[in-house]
Amino acid sequence: MATTITKPDTLVGKRIKRKEDPRLITGTATYVDDIQMPGMHHACILRSPHAAARIRSINTHAAAGHPGVVAVFTGADVAGVGPVPCGASLPGLRVPHHSILAKDRVYFVGHPVAVVVARDRYIATDALDLIEVDYDVLPAVADPEKALAPGAPAVHPEWPDNIAFTYHQEGGEPDKAFAEAEVVVKQRITSQRLIPTAMETRGVVAEHRAGQLTIWSSTQIPHLMRTLVAMMLGVPENLLRVVTPEVGGGFGSKLNVYAEEALMGFVAMKIGKPVKWIESRRENYLCTIHGRGHVDYYEIAARKDGTVLGLKLKLIQDLGAYHQLLTPAIPTLSVLMMPGLYRFRNVSADIIGAFTNCVPTDAYRGAGRPEATHGVERMMDLLAVELKADPAEIRLKNFIGADEFPYATATGLSYDSGDYAKPLKKALDIVDYHHLRQEQARAKAAGRLMGVGLSTYGEICAFGPSPATPAGGWESATVKVEPTGKVTVMTGASPHGQGEETTFAQIAADELGVTMDDVTVIHGDTAVVQYGIGTFGSRGTAVGGPALYFAIQELKKKIVKFGAMLLDSDDVSFSGGLCVCNKSGKTVPLAAIAGASYRAMKLPAGEQPGMMATYFWEPPNFAFPFGAHIAVTEIDRDTGQVAIKRYVAVDDCGKIINPLLVDGQVHGGVVQGIGQALYEQAVYDDNGQLLTGELTDYAIPKASMVPWIESSHTETPSPVNPLGVKGVGEAGTIGCSPAVVNSVVDALSHLGVRHIDMPLTPERIWKLISAGGRA
Amino acid sequence: MISQSFEYSAPRTLAEALALLAGGDAKVLAGGMSLIPMMKLRLAAPGRLVDLSRVPGLTGIREQGGALHIGAMTTHYEVESSAVLRAKCPLLAETASAIGDVQVRNMGTIGGSAAHADPAADYPAALLAVEAKVTLARKGGERTLAFSDFLIDTFTTALEPGEILTGVIVPVEPAGAGVSYQKMLQPASGFAIVGVAARVHNGSVRIGVTGLSGKAFRAAAAEKIFAETRDVQKAAAAVPLGVEANSDIHASADYRRHVAAVYAARALNAALSRAS
Amino acid sequence: MKIGGAYTLAVPQQRAYSLLQDPDVLAQCMPGCDHLTRIADNEYEMKMKMAISAVQGLFTGTVRIADSHPPSSFRLIVEGSGKVGFMKGDGLLTLMPEAASTEVRYEGDVQVGGLIAGVGKRLIDVTARLLIKRFFEKLAEQIALQPAP
Ligand SMILES: Cc1cc2nc3c(=O)[nH]c(=O)nc-3n(C[C@H](O)[C@H](O)[C@H](O)COP(=O)(O)OP(=O)(O)OC[C@H]3O[C@@H](n4cnc5c(N)ncnc54)[C@H](O)[C@@H]3O)c2cc1C
Repeated sequence: MATTITKPDTLVGKRIKRKEDPRLITGTATYVDDIQMPGMHHACILRSPHAAARIRSINTHAAAGHPGVVAVFTGADVAGVGPVPCGASLPGLRVPHHSILAKDRVYFVGHPVAVVVARDRYIATDALDLIEVDYDVLPAVADPEKALAPGAPAVHPEWPDNIAFTYHQEGGEPDKAFAEAEVVVKQRITSQRLIPTAMETRGVVAEHRAGQLTIWSSTQIPHLMRTLVAMMLGVPENLLRVVTPEVGGGFGSKLNVYAEEALMGFVAMKIGKPVKWIESRRENYLCTIHGRGHVDYYEIAARKDGTVLGLKLKLIQDLGAYHQLLTPAIPTLSVLMMPGLYRFRNVSADIIGAFTNCVPTDAYRGAGRPEATHGVERMMDLLAVELKADPAEIRLKNFIGADEFPYATATGLSYDSGDYAKPLKKALDIVDYHHLRQEQARAKAAGRLMGVGLSTYGEICAFGPSPATPAGGWESATVKVEPTGKVTVMTGASPHGQGEETTFAQIAADELGVTMDDVTVIHGDTAVVQYGIGTFGSRGTAVGGPALYFAIQELKKKIVKFGAMLLDSDDVSFSGGLCVCNKSGKTVPLAAIAGASYRAMKLPAGEQPGMMATYFWEPPNFAFPFGAHIAVTEIDRDTGQVAIKRYVAVDDCGKIINPLLVDGQVHGGVVQGIGQALYEQAVYDDNGQLLTGELTDYAIPKASMVPWIESSHTETPSPVNPLGVKGVGEAGTIGCSPAVVNSVVDALSHLGVRHIDMPLTPERIWKLISAGGRA
Repeated sequence: MISQSFEYSAPRTLAEALALLAGGDAKVLAGGMSLIPMMKLRLAAPGRLVDLSRVPGLTGIREQGGALHIGAMTTHYEVESSAVLRAKCPLLAETASAIGDVQVRNMGTIGGSAAHADPAADYPAALLAVEAKVTLARKGGERTLAFSDFLIDTFTTALEPGEILTGVIVPVEPAGAGVSYQKMLQPASGFAIVGVAARVHNGSVRIGVTGLSGKAFRAAAAEKIFAETRDVQKAAAAVPLGVEANSDIHASADYRRHVAAVYAARALNAALSRAS
Repeated sequence: MKIGGAYTLAVPQQRAYSLLQDPDVLAQCMPGCDHLTRIADNEYEMKMKMAISAVQGLFTGTVRIADSHPPSSFRLIVEGSGKVGFMKGDGLLTLMPEAASTEVRYEGDVQVGGLIAGVGKRLIDVTARLLIKRFFEKLAEQIALQPAP
């Protein structure tokens, strides 16, 4: 007999368009550059054209005297301001002093040297040209492996080996595993330097008025930034307000505290007028953090039947010249995730962090996990080739089983939940894998180069338990029912495009029985919102969501108490926006309850007036999303150009709150993954000049270069939080690049190609085809 | 970045424009798609911009005496979508459609592209293949030059200081001619790594190549080989021979030469398939 | 960036060599350069006004001649900087006698930095070649103008 299950009609789980989009697409949103204030001045920053040089002298006389210029500051003027902070700590980490303006030496092209403040931006820019800096140019090193070679120029003279830290981690018995292995495969794999390229560059406005300093900044972490900038400037934290207006993309590049944020605060206090600095695209490329920058040496040990035994990694991280907020921590995330989804019981990893005369690297979408995934997914393919096994089979054979969770990895993590075969099988079904391989064989016979590439990724997100996160890994939420029954949510996660104004409204509306229009989500102003950590590491919904959920549960207790008082009953429940007396069936709506709580004519015993609750949620663990991506490619034999014919992404990010937003995150992530796989690379020449200094040379994928992305999902809830959610902000990027590269290598493997480093430019591929053709 | 200050004039007649150009370091402003970015980066700092957008007679396409006269201020989009050009000089329309993106095509002009002489610009390949002419105006006079004589070198043309390029003249293609423009894109800028324009008629072929070297050129040796052998591969292989090829982070000289031969073959084959 | 090439000058080796060492000749042939001021033996101060397309830049710096092996080779080191960036060219010029003329082979390295390196990369290679070409064309003109002494 058929049973009908009536599912409550919830907003969570529905494809709902984003509440924030109308203002974003009609140009009515406010970004930092939209802020205008009476008396506002404009700052421009003089930056070093050299990657390494001593500053003999700086003459600012002409600039300071230029009509319209009100002040010029150099390193000497800001000596009292604290250094740009590094939040990561590792044993023996060497931390160079990172002053907000260069003192007597510059370390990378773009290093800030002086700031000009003028009536308008044109004058300030003109005056930059009038500053004379006498540089004694020094040899520079821009490549991490060259930096580690004997005799390389020292980036920081006090550490001539250019080593910022070394780090070792192992689990199980890696040496034994390799000794007993029947097969060992080795490969050098790089993850090139990338430029995050948020559509909105950074920008800061600062105003010092009546003893209070306010800084508007395009950042992902307003509260952390307030704490750290207050310390840098020696300003009491409670007299510093940080406001994050709309943020036009961050991708990790705004998960930072930058020199300019403190510098503008300093300037505003000095000149007593509001000041604005807007980063140009060129500055953005030179001075905002870059991502990736790995040279990895991998070894995989296995049995002939394809069972993996061990994985070894030597990782060289290009750090750049300084540590920004999390710079040295990023490669440690790669190590944590190096086993991927497989039963690697024996692993060992060594990291060498190398200083170079380049802008620092730091978190860029995926932060350490795309590198790890790229490594292990390439190695699984190399093993499959070595054993003449099918790449899907070898993955299925080695996956951690669905019944093995929570699973303790050899790198010390506890994977929360998973069913790794499920998305892979679904993806294989979608592409009709069996027939696809037949089609590939026919293509090959006809002389065409067609490839099928798999990537089964796992990632660590929902950062994270506080002991594992530099500045606390919890998140906060406040929920208020206003006297009229409208709901205000304040989240400490500072979403900047991810869509939590929508998903959090869905959660609150479901829980409180109101409509989404009744809910407003506020974030990004330290004067309004309780302390929070921010949005990064796919944590907005996965940590901020549960914080909201728990705040609402607290509030519901109060709602029920007021409801009971108003209904004069001791047996009431709250659902659908009503308190119901379970005996009489009488109801009182939320608005009436809220109104009564504020009028406070009468209060339930022991209750305070008002209807508000705040919750700081500490997650017990990370969450571990996973998925399978398949790329089908065809290569132009004559030119080496890659066409992605099909792209299938099956992602499992736990419980889905809004499929439309999840698809959006996957699409954006995959596009950035394709960017890394095929197009993007920050190129420094041997002298440390950034050759990809503008969008005319740094190739981010355009809409016309992106294939149709077939996105679908499996849903394996996380036990870590009551919503069952994981995170999806970075999944697309993490899963993508190995799928594309595996596909291209697969297309060329019969020509003797084993591996290609990214980006897979046509020329690189053409050279391999030409060489293979001869071989 | 933002530009240095400059004067801006929008003359209403050609004579006025020429007068404004005569003094000091003035520059013509057409679509601004090449000039403005250079000014914003402060690589260029002209003292005055003379905007041609309000000068009458510099836009539009008209047919006269077996030739098509295209005003210098005609945008890439207008060229791409012109019914007259599509029918009578399809190579130019096809080439225009390969330039940049929609925004660039809506602003950039054929005169600006020709005058700028960017070594990776698309138009020059086609203008050479159709044996275009350009008209140049100066105070009290006008002259007409073959485009091949006009284009001198990297960013260098026969334009004298104070001269304005007023139009481009292309012959009406005879019935039976087949054309094609094939371009490999530089993925960041959208400019050509290599672009090859081919035009065949009655067994003879003209090949214009851009992006390969410091300036666009006619591949004369390849044209000759084709005339003698009708062998597409042989002719295409000759396109890069003896050319000092460009090299940059996007493509080495060797690769560019190789791509030039491949794209020449593609352009030739496509043109042949459209010819009758 | 590596550069290299060869030009043939219609004068014998010895003459070609002395022309190439003559600061007045160098000044006239270097695009945008009016004159070279001697600051030391074989070292000159230069001012160069470059104008390529709409790009204009004033470079100041030095021209130095080193490792002279008359009449067959020497090094030419040009360093300059200006608002749009800086550049350093270091080239070995080798003069090969060919009957009544001389083939001048050059091989060297050009470094650029600052704005032009970051935003004009696409054009640096072609521009460097254009400037070298103009240099030798000018030199050929000079040779044609002045009858051999
Ligand atoms: C993002 C982007 C992508 C691009 N991609 C491509 C591409 O793929 N292929 C391609 O070919 N081009 C490309 N371009 C360049 C574009 O086609 C320009 O429009 C063109 O090169 C210049 O035309 P303009 O009308 O914009 O000229 P402007 O920028 O206004 O002027 C360019 C130069 O020519 C001079 N000038 C202009 N008109 C005249 C005239 N009538 N007489 C005398 N001098 C004149 C100006 O003084 C200036 O020095 C791209 C540009 C951008 C911004």
